[in-house]
Amino acid sequence: MAVNDPGGADADAEEPPSMLWGLDPVFSAYSRLYITDILQMKESRQVPGVYFYKNHPFFQVDVLGTVVYKREREDFYCYGVDDSTGVINCLCWKDEKWRDQGEPTKCRDPSGSSRGFNIEDELKRLKEAERQSTELEIGDLLRIRGTVKTSRDAREIKATCFYKVSDPVMAVQISHMLEMPRLYRKCYDEPFQMPSDDLGGTEAGGSSHFHYLLSRSVLTLKEFLLEKEVAKFRPYDVEFLLHPLIQTSSAEQESDQHRTSLATQIRKLLKETLSVLQDEGQIFRKMRTQDEVYNVTEQDKDLHTAIKDILREDTKREKYAEKGCHVLHILSSMRQRYSQNLSREVLEVALTFLECKSDIISTTEAHYIVL
Amino acid sequence: MLPLPAAFYFPWEINIDLVKDGASVRTFGRLTSYVPEESKAVLSCQQSSAQCHVSVQTSLVEPFQPILGAQYFVLGEIEKTDGLGGVTLHARALTCVDGVDLALMQQAIVEQRRFFEEREKLMNVQAPRCESPHT
Repeated sequence: MAVNDPGGADADAEEPPSMLWGLDPVFSAYSRLYITDILQMKESRQVPGVYFYKNHPFFQVDVLGTVVYKREREDFYCYGVDDSTGVINCLCWKDEKWRDQGEPTKCRDPSGSSRGFNIEDELKRLKEAERQSTELEIGDLLRIRGTVKTSRDAREIKATCFYKVSDPVMAVQISHMLEMPRLYRKCYDEPFQMPSDDLGGTEAGGSSHFHYLLSRSVLTLKEFLLEKEVAKFRPYDVEFLLHPLIQTSSAEQESDQHRTSLATQIRKLLKETLSVLQDEGQIFRKMRTQDEVYNVTEQDKDLHTAIKDILREDTKREKYAEKGCHVLHILSSMRQRYSQNLSREVLEVALTFLECKSDIISTTEAHYIVL
Repeated sequence: MLPLPAAFYFPWEINIDLVKDGASVRTFGRLTSYVPEESKAVLSCQQSSAQCHVSVQTSLVEPFQPILGAQYFVLGEIEKTDGLGGVTLHARALTCVDGVDLALMQQAIVEQRRFFEEREKLMNVQAPRCESPHT
């Protein structure tokens, strides 16, 4: 059985853990697979009802094929569908609303214009058309979207949506035949990339690990700045904080081909951390000089004083007395008065801080006055 | 209970030994003759400069509206009759597809075959490595 098993090339290949299946885009889609593959896919050991083709999880499929077998019961149709690679049974439940049709509506006015628009007739005609699109004979072309089920050792598709395809010049079938190999080459035959849990420094595998390190380093730095009430610092002042983070991760590393030096890793992590903190507005550089000095927004007394001064002066003016100053106005004044490089994020962090201290108050979501 | 899948074959491949007796096939061709009393039809196809013909037994798909000269798509089982050296296709489905783009259809069939051949090759490469105790 292992010989003719295109879906499970490595017989011992482990299934990806079920928690990660949602990361694979084909899992959520009604994937277009060849019927032969649907019949041969292996059922997951973790969750029944999910099947694997080359380590991609599937449970919903979309097939197009010729009806070669038909069985009708009161509640459902069972169509055998052949797409030239395989034949599969499709269980198609009849819709409740198609029963109690009475006689099929005879077209009262073929022109459709003489009597006007009769909604009941039109609805009846619509229902009839819907019903007819689901009633197929052998030789008709059927499209089915549904879930894959295994019942009594036979695979079948339980349709959620099915209809007869009108294909008078075989255009649909031809384009389907051309599309499928492309889909396979592009999606299904490409292995499912799982976020790797190795702690190497490689780009692909290490990126999620790096994000984890980054979030920890950002937190560590923030806590340090708060605790020690640091108003200004240079990068090498805080580099030591990152050492324990890198060292724990490299201690868990066994052998790896891309070992970057400890110093490089630290420098990279530090750079990213400072960048994140700047984007958040927690730190800023007052002046863009060679000397890389960072001010901590919530600790910078000069910044706070400047903001309060602007608010105090401007609210004396009639224009701002009632409503207060808008953030953007404060920003442009601060840029003139305090630092050209001030970003909106930094200002907002500072304003929030001052408001928490009850030095200023916001009159609207974006306006502030001084107390 | 379900019939076997019918793979696509070109009309000129039906008459030679490429197709096994009893195999389910799909093919196409222009309806050049139809004898309702005997339920026999003939589909023809032009390949390079030669004409090739496929005899079709139409008992299962009658009655149908025969349009002589139109392109038809047929699905059914091959029966190789000895003596006459003929091959008959017992049709389970016969559909008029006049207007079909034959060149594109040929391209599609070739593309699908190529894909499965590549896959076959890949599996044969991997099979020796696969040490399965179950075989």
